[in-house]
Amino acid sequence: MAAPPSPQQVTPPSASTSQPPPQQAAPPSTTAGRPVIVLDAAHGGTDTGARGETGIVEKDMVLQIARTVRAELERQGYRVVMSRNDDSNPSYDERAAMANAYRDAIFISLHIGSTGNPGTVRAFYDQLATPVAPTPVAAAANVKSPAPTASGLPQWEQAQQPYVEASHRVADLIQAQLAQSFSGSPATATPAAVRGLRSVAAPGVAIEISSVSVPSADSLTAAATPLATAIARGIAASRAAGSTGAN
Amino acid sequence: MPRNLKLALGLLAVAVLIGLISLREMHRRIARLGEMQASEERARHEVLAPPISTPTDVTVKARIFWAAGPDQLAPAEINLPLSADPVQRSRQLVRALLALPPTPAQRTMPADAVLLGFYILPDGTAVADFSDALAAETPSGIVSEQLTVNSLARTLESNVPALRRLKILIHGQEVETLAGNVDLSGFFDLHPPVQSPGTNATPSAPSTPGAGAAASPSGTPPVAALAPAKPPH
Repeated sequence: MAAPPSPQQVTPPSASTSQPPPQQAAPPSTTAGRPVIVLDAAHGGTDTGARGETGIVEKDMVLQIARTVRAELERQGYRVVMSRNDDSNPSYDERAAMANAYRDAIFISLHIGSTGNPGTVRAFYDQLATPVAPTPVAAAANVKSPAPTASGLPQWEQAQQPYVEASHRVADLIQAQLAQSFSGSPATATPAAVRGLRSVAAPGVAIEISSVSVPSADSLTAAATPLATAIARGIAASRAAGSTGAN
Repeated sequence: MPRNLKLALGLLAVAVLIGLISLREMHRRIARLGEMQASEERARHEVLAPPISTPTDVTVKARIFWAAGPDQLAPAEINLPLSADPVQRSRQLVRALLALPPTPAQRTMPADAVLLGFYILPDGTAVADFSDALAAETPSGIVSEQLTVNSLARTLESNVPALRRLKILIHGQEVETLAGNVDLSGFFDLHPPVQSPGTNATPSAPSTPGAGAAASPSGTPPVAALAPAKPPH
């Protein structure tokens, strides 16, 4: 099996499909052998994400939770980088680039859904979206088909591919912790075609809290600390098992 | 009070009054525009999605995956005239998903969504082209979006054996996500049930998770499916 690419070896998207991600992250490094956690508060700016009937807006609430999670993880000795710390909306590629700039990172994307049993939390790992093969119908429908790279390096759009198994393992370990803290949550992680994970060249997990439909935002903000604890324990367990590398 | 000040205040009051009237009119126009769009969507639905009947229709027990709670799908068998032609059969099934949910709570796709086109490529790839309403009205969230995709994929795979994978387009175009989370740029693998000759329905299965649920052959436990196909080599 070919060696997995280092983060720097991922071919960025071509200008015709999407913009190359900016260099926003700090130089690669880790703290005391621990991975850098890139904490992604989903959505932002004009992309509000889910909206509840009581006025809860995903982009705002998830940022608030991410800040608490960050503080808790840093208290536990992790270095945390936020994909956004205001009402901005970095592109999927810009968010992924923050994780891809580190040699040892774990990407955690936080979400609050529109549905689901209130009070439950699900961890997702990516089911890679496969590029569409060129066909007459696809061509007629302007379906994109990424061109192969001359270098043979994995394409940006498929950067998660070598890390899917590692992501699955980390997601399962985090989900096991979530199931203990959030009653009714599943015992194992769920596969889903999550766009925000596709270009991440590192283990990546999306976590979705249910939901913006809760009567009060207090229950969501209260989830932040146990959420951080579950993430920290799940990551620690994955490090102990040596399961955060590429497939 | 000086006369000039009175005049200025009077003019200001008139300006505020005109502004309020204009604002109200603008709100009315925006609301009217929204109603027009909704009416257009409904009209298109009536024109584009009437019941589909073909000469080869046979009423069978079709297996439709409706919502069974906020994050679950469950199959239900309903009597549905289905064509022998896979394209027409698929259209009939999608129409059932859109138009025939037993209760509003079981709905998995927005009521205003319209199937604009359905194609099957020689390799078994199904291309389902929906109106903008599918993307605009599906609730944002990984669970909710995956539930919608899974409902469609599992219904098709359970009733149209010719299909191998599914591509979803919105108004003829590939879109990045369904409603901000679930990736629509790739394919969703379908796993048609192994069928006995001459049968269309499959045995019922227990309730399965909607998010990331398996689309698996009947008789086998659900697997982590709707897995997009492996990249071409």
